Amino acid sequence: MDLSFDFSVISKNITYFMIGSYPHGRLGGVALTLYLAVASCILSFLGGLFLGMLSVSKFRVIRYSATAVINAVRGIPLLMVIFWMYFLLPALMGRTMPESRTVIAALTIFTSAYMAEIVRAGIEGIPRGQTEAAISTGLHPWQAMFYIVLPQGLRNMVPSFVNQFVSLIKDTSLAFIVGVSELTHVATQINNRTMIYPAEIFFFIAVIYFIICYAFTSLSRWLEKRLAWQKAI
Amino acid sequence: MIRFEGVHKWFHNLHVLNDINLHVRQGEVVVVCGPSGSGKSTLIRTINQLEPIDKGKLIVDGMDLSDRRTDITKLRAEIGFVFQQFNLYPHLRVLNNITLAPIKIRKLARKEAEEQAMALLERVGLAEKRDAYPAQLSGGQQQRVAIARALAMKPKIMLFDEPTSALDPEMIGEVLAVMQDLAQSGMTMVVVTHEMGFASEVSDRIVFIDEGIILEEAEPSEFFKAPKHERAKQFLKQVLSPMH
Repeated sequence: MDLSFDFSVISKNITYFMIGSYPHGRLGGVALTLYLAVASCILSFLGGLFLGMLSVSKFRVIRYSATAVINAVRGIPLLMVIFWMYFLLPALMGRTMPESRTVIAALTIFTSAYMAEIVRAGIEGIPRGQTEAAISTGLHPWQAMFYIVLPQGLRNMVPSFVNQFVSLIKDTSLAFIVGVSELTHVATQINNRTMIYPAEIFFFIAVIYFIICYAFTSLSRWLEKRLAWQKAI
Repeated sequence: MIRFEGVHKWFHNLHVLNDINLHVRQGEVVVVCGPSGSGKSTLIRTINQLEPIDKGKLIVDGMDLSDRRTDITKLRAEIGFVFQQFNLYPHLRVLNNITLAPIKIRKLARKEAEEQAMALLERVGLAEKRDAYPAQLSGGQQQRVAIARALAMKPKIMLFDEPTSALDPEMIGEVLAVMQDLAQSGMTMVVVTHEMGFASEVSDRIVFIDEGIILEEAEPSEFFKAPKHERAKQFLKQVLSPMH
């Protein structure tokens, strides 16, 4: 059995790996993976924050509805959510829609549910006395949340956020199932065309995913330090 | 200024406030004392509705707290509250702890709010700590900043919920001194405390509460010389000489 590797398949197709058939065709490869990840990250951060705040609302109807949504989404496989969005979203909107956008919607809904749980725990982790002190000075409860509770809670949430976002980056690979030409999809295409280099190709994209995730983790470590306020003397 | 009329409150089956009738006039300093679990903290926390009441009438600064339409957020801006655990905001510097509410609620310009905050820090003797974070201060210093933070809203009433109970003994004096200074300036104050020295020297009236019931209400000289109720006698004996 011949175990020698030939990585020339990578260098020959490197542009396709990186940006797909852009600029002649659609953007793809690593660039599209990054686009999916960044867009879903930002949207699910906002979605998670919103949903998480609803889930600690003092109004029971809001709290229960938010919790129901969170639990429902968390009980469904991501792949189902992707299929749903792929078939449902164009029907709901009444027009066709780029697949990448339906995938961003799916990733956002899915990740928001997990982010919401992190936000809820982060908010509940701040002592009740902080809110009491804030409203005692005449701040409205939402101002107490915004100026006092969230800034303290968010800092504690950062490590969990990073975890979730790293998962999200890797989950973008599921987009290949609905034909979005991100990195994994591009890799399967090249593999189908060349037939004899699967090990080289899939090893290469594993490294790419690792580099993206590692870069992101390092960035957030740095951010975490920047965010640190003086906790003790 | 503050009027309780037949106020009741329950925590589940526990009757924490039982038919409270109390009137605090403007400029008065009232000390509330009693054994732990007697309901004194709950009593003071109803005044700015950190704890809502279940029955009866509570009127504060002309506003009826039992009326759902009362704008409680607006009322709270007129009432300063000092907590046992200080509850300073750990992510903000001392100065910003004090200026936050005046800027957001009173709509003061930052510069004006900071000048006012500095004057208050001056008054509690902590001007040089303006840029420190709460965790860098001692307990006594934190509590004095907390008092300054409450005063920054120019409240009509100041409430103190065991302000010295979490402090090391050597820091109690500095906080009591600030409170005494405040009392002499004519502030209406309700103070839950075990500091009987403060109660006898500074307060106009002492309210003794046990099991949610006001058992005794008297001027300090009267209360300390001849407490009428048996439980008040016991309580005084314990706080004044805890060894026996």
